Amino acid sequence: MSPSLTLPAPAPAAARKRRLLEILGAAAIAATYVYLVLNQPADITGGPGSASALIALSGFLVGAILLIVAVLPTLPASTVVLIPVALVLNIVLGQFVGSTLVPFYLDAIGTVLIAVLAGPAAGAATGALSSIVWSFFNPTVLPFAAGAALIGCLAGLAARHGMFRRLYLAPVAGFVTGIIGGVVSAPVAAFVFGGTSGVATGAIVSAFRSMGDTLLAAITKQALISDPMDKAIVFTVVAVLAYALPRRTRLQFPFVRRHRVLAGTSPEQGS
Amino acid sequence: MRLHPLTSLAAACSTAVITTAAASLPLSLAVMGAAVVLSARGGTARRLLPAAAAVLLPLGLSLLVMHGLFFPEGRTVLAQWGVARVTAEGLAFALERAAQLGAVVLALLVFSFSVSVPDLVAVLPSRGVHGRFAFVLASTLTLLPAITSRVERIRQAQESRGLVVRRGVLHRAAAFRLQAVPLVLSLIEDAGTRTAALEARGFSNPGPRTSYRDVPDPRGQRVLRAALLAAAAAAVAARLLLTQAGS
Amino acid sequence: MSAAHHSTETKPILSARIRSFTYHGEGLPVLEGIDLDLAPGTLTAVLGASGSGKSTLGRLLSGWLPPGTGGTLRGFLELAGSRLEFGGSGDPRINPAEWGRHVGFVPQDPAAVLSTVRGTVAEELAFGLENAALGRQAMKTAVEHTAGVLGLTELLEQNPGSLSGGQLRRLAIGCAIIAGPQVLIMDEPFASLDSAGTAGLARLLQDLVKLGTAVVVLSQVVDAPLLDAGTWLVLDNGKVTGSGPPAGLQAGAGLLPPGIRAAGGAPAPARDHTGAVHADTLLPRGGAGVPALELRGVCFGYGGGGRAAGGRTTRRRARGGSPAGDASAQVLKDINLSIKPGEVVAVTGPNGAGKSTLLRHFNGLLRPTAGDVLVHGRDIAGEPPGEAARSVGLLFQQPRDELFERTALREVCFGLDRLFHPGEAAGRALDALSAVGLSGAADAHPAELPASGQRLLALAAVLARKPSVLALDEPTVALDGGGLALLDAAVRSAAGEGAAVVLVTHDLDYARAAAHRVVMLDGGRLDG
Repeated sequence: MSPSLTLPAPAPAAARKRRLLEILGAAAIAATYVYLVLNQPADITGGPGSASALIALSGFLVGAILLIVAVLPTLPASTVVLIPVALVLNIVLGQFVGSTLVPFYLDAIGTVLIAVLAGPAAGAATGALSSIVWSFFNPTVLPFAAGAALIGCLAGLAARHGMFRRLYLAPVAGFVTGIIGGVVSAPVAAFVFGGTSGVATGAIVSAFRSMGDTLLAAITKQALISDPMDKAIVFTVVAVLAYALPRRTRLQFPFVRRHRVLAGTSPEQGS
Repeated sequence: MRLHPLTSLAAACSTAVITTAAASLPLSLAVMGAAVVLSARGGTARRLLPAAAAVLLPLGLSLLVMHGLFFPEGRTVLAQWGVARVTAEGLAFALERAAQLGAVVLALLVFSFSVSVPDLVAVLPSRGVHGRFAFVLASTLTLLPAITSRVERIRQAQESRGLVVRRGVLHRAAAFRLQAVPLVLSLIEDAGTRTAALEARGFSNPGPRTSYRDVPDPRGQRVLRAALLAAAAAAVAARLLLTQAGS
Repeated sequence: MSAAHHSTETKPILSARIRSFTYHGEGLPVLEGIDLDLAPGTLTAVLGASGSGKSTLGRLLSGWLPPGTGGTLRGFLELAGSRLEFGGSGDPRINPAEWGRHVGFVPQDPAAVLSTVRGTVAEELAFGLENAALGRQAMKTAVEHTAGVLGLTELLEQNPGSLSGGQLRRLAIGCAIIAGPQVLIMDEPFASLDSAGTAGLARLLQDLVKLGTAVVVLSQVVDAPLLDAGTWLVLDNGKVTGSGPPAGLQAGAGLLPPGIRAAGGAPAPARDHTGAVHADTLLPRGGAGVPALELRGVCFGYGGGGRAAGGRTTRRRARGGSPAGDASAQVLKDINLSIKPGEVVAVTGPNGAGKSTLLRHFNGLLRPTAGDVLVHGRDIAGEPPGEAARSVGLLFQQPRDELFERTALREVCFGLDRLFHPGEAAGRALDALSAVGLSGAADAHPAELPASGQRLLALAAVLARKPSVLALDEPTVALDGGGLALLDAAVRSAAGEGAAVVLVTHDLDYARAAAHRVVMLDGGRLDG
């Protein structure tokens, strides 16, 4: 018998399995974070800091991979094909900004764009994949996979709740996302790198260290200065790009249609 | 002997894990040296070294400034200017971390610059999460150079229309918007067409797949992979046990 | 007729009854009242102007635009005996992979078809077979056979990204036919192919039809091979305005809308006008005066030290230029060309002759390795292209690279305030829009205009600046009949106002009809 020309309805059992993996992934990330912050391992600056580095690396990485395993097979092909495009935008813009002396990263424009067009799950997967694929050229971004996934997820949630319907709300959502993302990523920078990977961000950390802060505290404070501004800029750029898309292109994404993510779904142009 | 892509991946990953777990300066330096030699013999050094430098120089500089000048935990003060104190502990910490990260970065870059991506994609199962991950990886690597040339094309078209990019942050930001809009728009449109083309060719087929490209996987390499992964796991376990015993 | 021995002749393999198809969020349907039956072993041409809904129809028939995800379809599609009814909630969801086994599609832009995950042409061809779990030996046989049919055998081990435009189109066709679909739908397959390429593709279509494939060609130009089609279906504004054998619909009978061009470039109903270029714009008084554009002994070779603007060397990529492989060769050899104000000159030559490379020298996007480029007697060697653009308006083939604003009017206004008084700028922009017939679309999103409209909008953006040299790359590609007539009018009026116009085109008939003088670029040298 020849296979059918139509697709069957999606099965609910697959959705349950996916939910379980998502929860496991999120739990791995949360547990790692709590462990690292509570234990404030003394070995961070004294002695070889490798145990906490290993815990930070493996905990966050396992969480990110679980999220990818949960989400990636369930995404529609149109989103999967768009992910490489987002990664290229992340990498091209991130490499460019990272090489300048600006204390920002701007390495999440593609991730946030996907999150706005295709939802939080797609955003989370894109964030995690971005770090993993980017590590092909720059292995130091690998440990930030969990943080990047969180940014993508939060951006998708912000989009679902209408934060992109007004242009002035987008930087606000970005600011809040940046605070959460920065706090979660700080332990990675502290335990894995013993600092930050950029010169400008490093200077800010040094300033706090000169006031006698612990390394984790100094890096968290630096993240609280850089990340919210960074994500506010990224969210604004993405909002500008999303509104520059023609309507037919925007509305081909079911997430945008279903949650009325972008203003101007009425027939007149959103100008 | 040609290495199976998964064998070289396993070698790079276990090297990275073992170096991190060992946290020993001599080992890190040895791994760095070995990585450079390997890539030189593989003929990839000319591309690898600039890429590694782009990552490691800012990182190393940042660590050196951060810990070399400010290390409140440091005791042995070598020099002091105002709030900045150069301490032996700080310098040692910066050096140790930089070497450790350098070893990990170089080990992984040796892999990514030497592996044949089509081979790697061919050996990953083409269904489910593996297949989709392989797609994302390979597609990104294909699109990157294509996009660089597309940005160039857009710039040429816009300059021919009379766009002059002037100096200054605001002008550059405006020019960035003008170039980013057509870029993102055409990328999304192309992705839409590509989705339809891939779907029509069975991209989402649930059934079994075959592979056109034949990548031999000798038994010896499969054993070697298992051994490498076991060594990495052992190194992690040993480090955790030692830390437990020490504290 | 010739296919009478097919017992299935009368029974269509694919049928469509489209009462309406509407994209999401749009009030008006893009397709309405279309009945179509495709029988095995037939060639059907769907003719329509740019924006008439041809591409939407093609993608709908081929499963590339599944109803539900892409928009709302009312009506039914019937493929290989199974009928799918659409009409609202509870619609069936098309399985694109299974649909694709029966119906192959080749879109306008063949580069977008590439999977981007296969390293060689052979593997790209095999991608669909891998996903259908065909054995390796069977795949090898199929790949070799398809490559042989399409003349890709020599290229099997090359990277798909390194192919030229014509080669890419053949690869896209190969990807569509390797699984042996009963229906093959092609969107504007002849656009931008030179005469050799067109003849090769026409032979391939004949062979496929003989083997029993139902072939559909969507086109805005009545290319010569379409005269042999069994059926023409004429689309205008999403509706069928005529169908039947070509004989009854040929131009002259007045049944083709003016947007559909006859082969040979000139717009079908406006042939008299374009033929009259020589008559109503007399060549400006010759001899005296400085040429508007002059090339003196220009040589250029990629990788031969040619500097691109901004000091960086541009690496060449296959983009309508010469085929890959001769990257280090001299592309332009001692070019001398002088164009007077008010003169229209056409530069023609086969695909890959270096026409686009020559064009990029006019405003300094590429710098000659030897020789000089003078605009009004001024050497532009030190000038950034953005500055040279004040007097040289250059229009590329791909309008979507140039357009970045949210409305057509803003697009044309962009940058005008620096050239003219602020009050004057808006007026000039509106004038330019109406000169290309887009007054009604001033508020439309540039990217939502049909391909022809996008090219005209880009032209308006250049015309509004009143350049004294106007250079157009392949103006006939992607323009429908109406668009070409507007372009001709705009070119004539610019020339009438004293602008020097250069038309770069592979279409010799069009060049002869539209220009005062035709020069031939072949092998990097200019004759004529």
